[in-house]
Amino acid sequence: MYYNVQDVTQFQSQKDFIDTVIIPLLSVNLKEDMIKQSSSATQYLMSLTAFIEQQFKGRIMLMPPFTYIEQFKESISPLDIQEEFRNAGFKHVLFITCDHSWTSLKEKIDVIWLPSIPLESMDQTVKKTILEDQLKQVIPILSSKWSQN
Amino acid sequence: MSNNRVTRRQFLNYTLTGVGGFMAAGVLMPMLRFAIDPALQVKAEGDFVQTSTKIADITEEPIKVDFTFEQVDAWYKSDVTEAAWVYKDGDRIIALSPVCKHLGCTVNWNGDSAHPNQFFCACHAGRYEKTGKNIPGTPPLGPLDEYEVSEKDGFLMLGKKIANTLV
Ligand code: FES
Repeated sequence: MYYNVQDVTQFQSQKDFIDTVIIPLLSVNLKEDMIKQSSSATQYLMSLTAFIEQQFKGRIMLMPPFTYIEQFKESISPLDIQEEFRNAGFKHVLFITCDHSWTSLKEKIDVIWLPSIPLESMDQTVKKTILEDQLKQVIPILSSKWSQN
Repeated sequence: MSNNRVTRRQFLNYTLTGVGGFMAAGVLMPMLRFAIDPALQVKAEGDFVQTSTKIADITEEPIKVDFTFEQVDAWYKSDVTEAAWVYKDGDRIIALSPVCKHLGCTVNWNGDSAHPNQFFCACHAGRYEKTGKNIPGTPPLGPLDEYEVSEKDGFLMLGKKIANTLV
């Protein structure tokens, strides 16, 4: 499910089934020497999460990314975000990011960190294979969450 | 000479009609687009999309065939990749949509070792027979959709999504 009116309506009536939310944490870096890499990571994270959404549409809600610039990272508080989404009825709150620093919260939140891969230089077929590989890394995390209840 | 001059009234008439027409188009066009359900919209020549799968390579064992087409949603153009589970039933080629009829996850052939020769949905353990018929007692309430199939130069072409014709 995406965070749009149609899907949210479905979420409201199917909370038992749509019990997982994925929240991308996205760092934006505009420095001359970083902006390309930063946009590449964005592209990667967006493509991968859209792919996850397509595979698990009926159980996962994909949020728009929570976006920040490095200096104001503190404005993002995954713990509070997690709390908020739990209260809204999500049993599983998963963060996904290319920013390694969030793994320091590993004990308190579920965060999937993936180093970004420059998809922009690849043709469609390679891109698809890469994303499928990446998805295979995410699936076990999801199924272990889901088998917990 | 003054006959050819555009009067103030004419000028206003022309411009306002022009602007009005433009505004009407702006209002109507998105409405027309809404009327067409994007899920049932496949864009390609003659409604069929070419895949890279050879007809000769299709067997009785379902394989996943990906295909990509461009979808336009208001101003946002995107390449959409969809997939189909394709197999041969006698001489007939069957292409089933992998979208689970419960809440829309992607189903897999033989996805659950406890139930071989079935499509399995990992989201809430929905199951379907090879024909796409949903198995009672699992969450899905209807059979998997089907794609129209066709052939071009030995390659599989996939068309519109239609209701399942096998069950
Ligand atoms: S989405 Fe397939 S069983 Fe629920």
